[in-house]
Amino acid sequence: MTAALLERTIALIGSLIVGGTATLQLRNEWPVGGLAADVTKLLLGLMILGCVLALLASLDILGAFAS
Amino acid sequence: MAVSAKARSSAFLERASVEARFHDVDPVYAETRDIRTLGFVLFLLADCILFSSFIFAYLYLRTSAPVWPPVVDGKQIEHLDVAFGAMNSIVLFGSGVTMHFALESWKNLKKAAFNFWIVLTIALGLGFLSGQAHEYLSAPMTWTGSSFGASFFTLTGLHGFHVFAGVVFLTVLAIQANRGVYTGSKYFGLVAGTLYWHFVDVIWVLLFFLFYLW
Amino acid sequence: MDVAAHPVEQHEAHDHIHPAPTGFIQKYVFSIDHKVIAIQYFVTGLLFMLIAGSFAELMRIQLWNPKGTFMDYHTFNQMFTMHGTVMVWLVLIPLVTGSLGNLVMPLQIGARDVAFPWLNMLSFWLIPVSGLILFSAFLLPDGAPAAGWTEYPPISIQQGTGGIFYCLAIIVVGISSTLTGLNFLVTIFKMRAPGMTWTRMPLFTWATFATALINLFATVALSAALLALLFAQAFNVPFFDPARGGSPILYQHMFWFYSHPAVYIFILPAFGVISEVLPTFARKTIFGYKMIAFSSLAIAILGFAVWAHHMFPSGIAPWLQIPFMILTYLIGIPTGIKIFSWMATLWGGRIQFTTPMMYALAFLGTFSFGGITGVYLACVPVDFHEHGSYFVVAHFHYVVGGGAVAAFFAGFYYWFPKATGRMLSEKMGHLSFWLFMIGLTGTFMPMHWLGLEGMPRRYASYEVFAKAFPDAVFWNRFESLSSSLMVLSVLLVAINIIVSLRSGRRAGNNPWGARTLEWMISSPAPYYNFKKIPIVLDKPYDFTQPLPYRNLDDEHQDPYPVPSEAALPRGATAAVGA
Repeated sequence: MTAALLERTIALIGSLIVGGTATLQLRNEWPVGGLAADVTKLLLGLMILGCVLALLASLDILGAFAS
Repeated sequence: MAVSAKARSSAFLERASVEARFHDVDPVYAETRDIRTLGFVLFLLADCILFSSFIFAYLYLRTSAPVWPPVVDGKQIEHLDVAFGAMNSIVLFGSGVTMHFALESWKNLKKAAFNFWIVLTIALGLGFLSGQAHEYLSAPMTWTGSSFGASFFTLTGLHGFHVFAGVVFLTVLAIQANRGVYTGSKYFGLVAGTLYWHFVDVIWVLLFFLFYLW
Repeated sequence: MDVAAHPVEQHEAHDHIHPAPTGFIQKYVFSIDHKVIAIQYFVTGLLFMLIAGSFAELMRIQLWNPKGTFMDYHTFNQMFTMHGTVMVWLVLIPLVTGSLGNLVMPLQIGARDVAFPWLNMLSFWLIPVSGLILFSAFLLPDGAPAAGWTEYPPISIQQGTGGIFYCLAIIVVGISSTLTGLNFLVTIFKMRAPGMTWTRMPLFTWATFATALINLFATVALSAALLALLFAQAFNVPFFDPARGGSPILYQHMFWFYSHPAVYIFILPAFGVISEVLPTFARKTIFGYKMIAFSSLAIAILGFAVWAHHMFPSGIAPWLQIPFMILTYLIGIPTGIKIFSWMATLWGGRIQFTTPMMYALAFLGTFSFGGITGVYLACVPVDFHEHGSYFVVAHFHYVVGGGAVAAFFAGFYYWFPKATGRMLSEKMGHLSFWLFMIGLTGTFMPMHWLGLEGMPRRYASYEVFAKAFPDAVFWNRFESLSSSLMVLSVLLVAINIIVSLRSGRRAGNNPWGARTLEWMISSPAPYYNFKKIPIVLDKPYDFTQPLPYRNLDDEHQDPYPVPSEAALPRGATAAVGA
């Protein structure tokens, strides 16, 4: 197993775990009010987007000059 | 995933008591907390502008370049290692989730869990920084050689500096929490640390996209 | 604490008063009291104004002759660079936001201090630190920065290490400015007295709010631009080097994205001062309160969209020049709304020609004049001819000198009694005023036609221009002589302060008979400002109504305040306004 394949696998599995957990946490956080909570929800959402990007990168769908 | 009625109601009670502790503080503290929260959020917005300015510079230089990555000494620079970048990104995003768990543990008065999660967050943050160090050492371009190097190292360096400052911040918070500075209802420092860490996370989402995926 | 008759329970929260500061250091050096910090900003700003003004005087001596030999060209370049740099960042911004904003805004909203008093103190102390870094550049082998206050690469990089000190100093002052913006925004959002809704806020506070938005969001962009320049100068990072993929135009975009909103940092508090001074000395309510308030916001926001009008001849594409031209014209609209509202405020009022009022009235003329020349420059083909000429120098000195500085002086004379408890001498004030205005006109009016005839700015010698336009020598000498009047004016202000602090008439709470909250407490105010936080019932400027406040500290406050004896010339009766 090459380094690149190992990295891809970690990214793939990791993005599913981290993204999934973050989505659950975002759902729990949703009813809480207040400025700090609203900012947290926004940032968690964007971080989930980041996990999606990492997922797509690990599958070679996105990525500079992805084949 | 079936959640038992007992688990659901205990989760509900936990959240209810968290909310109760949030609202039950003396009004002077509540006002101070609101003022500090707004101040900190404005600070994060200003920090966004800092990154936006350098991102503008990168976009300007990249869109006005004839080829990208640019040519240096007759040879075109290789593109960055997307797989490694994706893996390092997951390390950082993971640290965001662990920090969220740290704060939730604190709110639910679970000190041991808090300590576990915040130490894990700091470790993952340091892991990200070592990943960046590896990227810097194996990068195909230099800071001074081209506009690619200039933008990449400046932007990720600024970000890395923010991560490093965040690691220091979280370490101080962990020490303070264990010394009893924060209570179950007064823990603004921990909230600030969490918001800062999430912010640093989200900036990386943008940088990862701009340098590795585009 | 008297809780009994207090109708608004939740404000017991900020009724607590912290213990008084003790000792000289805590009271006057490292003070967290916004009023002391305001005075510190004022003294520092005035000092830097005299220094930067002297640099200008030295330039004017050089320009006495078309090929002056007073200083060599590199020294002249350092002079105009340091004059601009110091005036923009160490004089104007500290004076209008740091000094007036700090002194007046918390008092006007009925707060005991700003949201983060310690940060406020830090913001002030960064100013002398920045000054120290900047001026130490004179000791470098290549001297101080010498590429203009704009320090464009590549020339700023080629000129030696002065540029590095410039970047460091201005990044430091940028941090000061950003923190002040943050502080003021949180203060205005969270610490207004009960009953003070957004539409009952005084207009100076509205102006400070709009300015704080710019302070917070634009200044960081400057720090980014200067950080990039610093890396380019110190570490050879090729952001701006075309040979390695960089672009000098990039710097201009990054720099002006801040520096255009920066001019609105100067002028919005100035507009706020005018909105306070005119109603008080016309004894008449402000016309168009909501329009003035919202146009402050409009100017702050639109100001972010016009930066490239400083770059028309730089080689940017025509499809980019036209939108910037149109947006620049659009900014004239909210500005014009204010000018007409102020004129309508004066119409039918009973004008009292105190020193602050004279500065405010002159402002209406000089600022409008400068604004109109700005509209000329906004037109792209005109700018192609006038960019880099004395026409531009005339334009911005009219809006900054005749605008921001004149309004600053109006605010200074207006609020000096509140800060110190003493009235300034009206005689010296009037003399200062005329010296300033005559000096301003004499110095900067001829620059308009010199610029139109083609005299370039930032040139140590205009001998080529003088051959084509021989009158240039006369007018340059005229300008040099006139400029000394402005120096005299500022020196006279300093003398006025010293004399009045010793033997000026004592000001009561409200010498001008004004209606905003800062005039409802003693002069100078105690460190905690308000013993009881007042309750606000309506807008402040309606002179036909009783004061719209409850729970004032001074229970015998006259509901229809009139100017006090101290504000009138000695021997006059108090019948003004009757």
